[in-house]
Amino acid sequence: MPEKKPSPPVEGEGRTRRRKSDPPSSPSIPTRQAANGKRPAKRQRSSLRAGLAVLGGRAAGAFSRRLHLGGGTSITGIVAQRLYPDIVSHLSTQLAYGSVLVTGTNGKTTTSGFIAAILSDAGLRVWRNREGSNLMRGIAGALVIRAQPNGNLRRSGQAISIFEVDEAVVPQIVQKVPLRVAVFNNLFRDQLDRYGEVDTVASRWQQAIRVLPESTILVLNADDPAIAHLGKSYPGKVVYFGIDDASLDLAVQGNSSDRHQTIDTRTCIQCGSDLTYTMRFYSHLGHYICSNCGNARPPADVRAISVTINAFDQMRITVATPTQQGEIVIPLPGFYNIYNALAAIAAAQALQINWEPIVSGIQQFKPAFGRGERVQIGGRTIRILLAKNPTGFNEVLRTLFSEGEKRHMLVMLNDNIADGRDVSWIWDVDFERMVRHTETLTVTGTRAFDLALRLKYAGIAAQDMQLIPIAPLSSTNKSALPARAGKPGLRGSISGRTIVERPASIPRGKRPYGLAYALDTALQQTPTGETLFVVPTYTGLLELHRELERRGLTPHYWEEKGP
Amino acid sequence: MNDNSKPQFTLTLGHLYPDQLNLYGDRGNILTLQRRCQLRGIGLRVVSLGIGDALAPDEYDLLFIGGGQDKEQAPVAQDLYEMKGIGLWAAVEDDMPVLAVCGGYQLLAHYYRPASGADMRGLGIFDAWTIHKGIHVPRCIGDIAIAWNGSTLVGFENHGGRTYLGTAKPLGKVLKGHGNNAEDRTEGAVYRHAYGTYLHGSLLPKNPHFADYLLALALQRSYQLNDSEIMEIFSRNPLLEDRVESGTWKRVERKNGASTVVSGTLTAPPALDDTLEWTAHASMLERLGLHHAAGAALRHL
Repeated sequence: MPEKKPSPPVEGEGRTRRRKSDPPSSPSIPTRQAANGKRPAKRQRSSLRAGLAVLGGRAAGAFSRRLHLGGGTSITGIVAQRLYPDIVSHLSTQLAYGSVLVTGTNGKTTTSGFIAAILSDAGLRVWRNREGSNLMRGIAGALVIRAQPNGNLRRSGQAISIFEVDEAVVPQIVQKVPLRVAVFNNLFRDQLDRYGEVDTVASRWQQAIRVLPESTILVLNADDPAIAHLGKSYPGKVVYFGIDDASLDLAVQGNSSDRHQTIDTRTCIQCGSDLTYTMRFYSHLGHYICSNCGNARPPADVRAISVTINAFDQMRITVATPTQQGEIVIPLPGFYNIYNALAAIAAAQALQINWEPIVSGIQQFKPAFGRGERVQIGGRTIRILLAKNPTGFNEVLRTLFSEGEKRHMLVMLNDNIADGRDVSWIWDVDFERMVRHTETLTVTGTRAFDLALRLKYAGIAAQDMQLIPIAPLSSTNKSALPARAGKPGLRGSISGRTIVERPASIPRGKRPYGLAYALDTALQQTPTGETLFVVPTYTGLLELHRELERRGLTPHYWEEKGP
Repeated sequence: MNDNSKPQFTLTLGHLYPDQLNLYGDRGNILTLQRRCQLRGIGLRVVSLGIGDALAPDEYDLLFIGGGQDKEQAPVAQDLYEMKGIGLWAAVEDDMPVLAVCGGYQLLAHYYRPASGADMRGLGIFDAWTIHKGIHVPRCIGDIAIAWNGSTLVGFENHGGRTYLGTAKPLGKVLKGHGNNAEDRTEGAVYRHAYGTYLHGSLLPKNPHFADYLLALALQRSYQLNDSEIMEIFSRNPLLEDRVESGTWKRVERKNGASTVVSGTLTAPPALDDTLEWTAHASMLERLGLHHAAGAALRHL
């Protein structure tokens, strides 16, 4: 059964053995290995285990899909890893063109999407972990679904994999996967309750890159002090990317509402003194120098030397690399996508990809899941812009409200675990930008009340927004003041001003709560031919997709397109 | 009709270390105080007190200090002790209302002992101390509700350090959540009119009664007003008084889809409509399973 590729499995086996021999409770495995310690036997064992893991994982995934529990990628990974903890290193070492890691707080999915588009235009077979499953189990699942029962990857010949990885998973993945390129895009404050503070993540990454072999090329954002610092002590090759267009400086743009933008890294990572910015593009990204120890932005290898914004979702950038200079149009909304594109270009350069696939890969890019994707519904267009942390949200608002156009909005705030249970961050978002710029505004989500309160304090009058919570407050029901009975009372006063009158098209019996109702309300208020901008947090995006799927509007996101 | 362009009462809020201690949406607390003052015709000036600035107690009517990351907290602790310590002590002893959230709360107690490294010295305004028991001890994270002053306060807590009270009184009793140390069900600390708490989220927007309580303390202290005078200031509506002729007012109310014009004479309706605030407060209590308290909160309306 095991015919070829001897080296990776042996390497994987060595790791297993070391780990397995640690706890005294399982002495049998190393002893038996030592007894018949011939190489072929070991290889066979690991291939058998890998094969078992592949079968088990895929069976679990099929089962989960059959029961409609979800895409089944995560469960596939969980089961496979349980059956063979080193399944990820076992499979990933078989990829002919190796693996690329993409991480950062914001823009992981878009960046890895850009890289995937570039690489497949360059003729490679690109494998990615699925949207949203960027934990170890998702990565394991992505590999396992492409593996054969003998523990080998199918068609691994032209293959390269791109792993979009959660910030906290980086230390684990660098141990398991031999990386050709590691892209670190940015580090913002995100889900303090889950990841800890920004400094904690930065120091974990610092430790993680020490494990990397020198052959791994780091692709780092020169404009983010915490990211650029990772390259300072790295012995291998580093490719920096950044923006070199002074006209984008916030000070030049003179937008007053950007002044109190949240800044997540303000002090020098080396000495703790305050950083001085000669240019700042957004949040803490810019050209910085520490006046105390001299720690400064490294010169970028891949640079955006000029940026012009043609339309809401058309940005023309001129990119200069050591070997090339040319124009590229980024077909996505949002300034942050300039960084995502630069990161992808730098990664492609590190992989020695030609210029043509770089241009075509980016220019023909289709927005990913929740990153500006477009859905047509009943003569209206929905644009979905995920916003999961203050910086991301501020950038979405900047994208939507910088042209002075009035927008139809549906904003959705959830506090499920994947969103982060803490919603305090909404007070750091510049919702003040929205005041008098919304044509209609609908607010929903598990923390709709918190969001409505934030908007109220931003200066949006209660009658200018429709608050649609996910469920009625049960305490008000108990106070014997049901609104349905039409009696004036407490419920009336709560809902009267905030909850919109039932739009005519909505069936009478339907309860005026929840996402589906909120979506109907928002669409109802958006005239035919116009665009409704939906800004959800992460689980809100998932719910929205389920709702749109239910209405037959988007493909199942876990269905991979193409090879 | 009095001259509305120049407020009769003005308050100055000293915001300590807005650039360093701004981690958990502290802006919400400042915005809440500003808005509640503005709508009642009270002038509120917010003055930032950064590193190196001295604190002259006479210049302020109330103080706010938030929380930050550990790295940012260390230089702040030193500056707080050296530059602002005496002024802050004098202010607190003179009954100035002070709100300290999270890291700021820890800095107003005796000391903060990190998981590793030297103790961070605090001001000792609260007879309390904080110990971080190591990175493997789970942080206190989650929604929290406490009983305060016959009512409830709701927020979100996220702290690694455990705070233990000496003689300091707690701000309230934990109904759901961790509180100071996840052991004794106390939350926060009170000394004179200084309030320390782990509740953010932001604290004041969803707890309008606590925001008003702090403002009332400030007005009482700075203008020697009694309770009924403060009640009168809090319930008036300068915007409406200005616009409505001959003591009558009109308002369109929408109930169950029908619009009715409500009118009245003599007194204008209060400037602040806290419906949304209390609904948000109650919805937090419900999420914590505190349905009785949620019902009580809605009776504020």
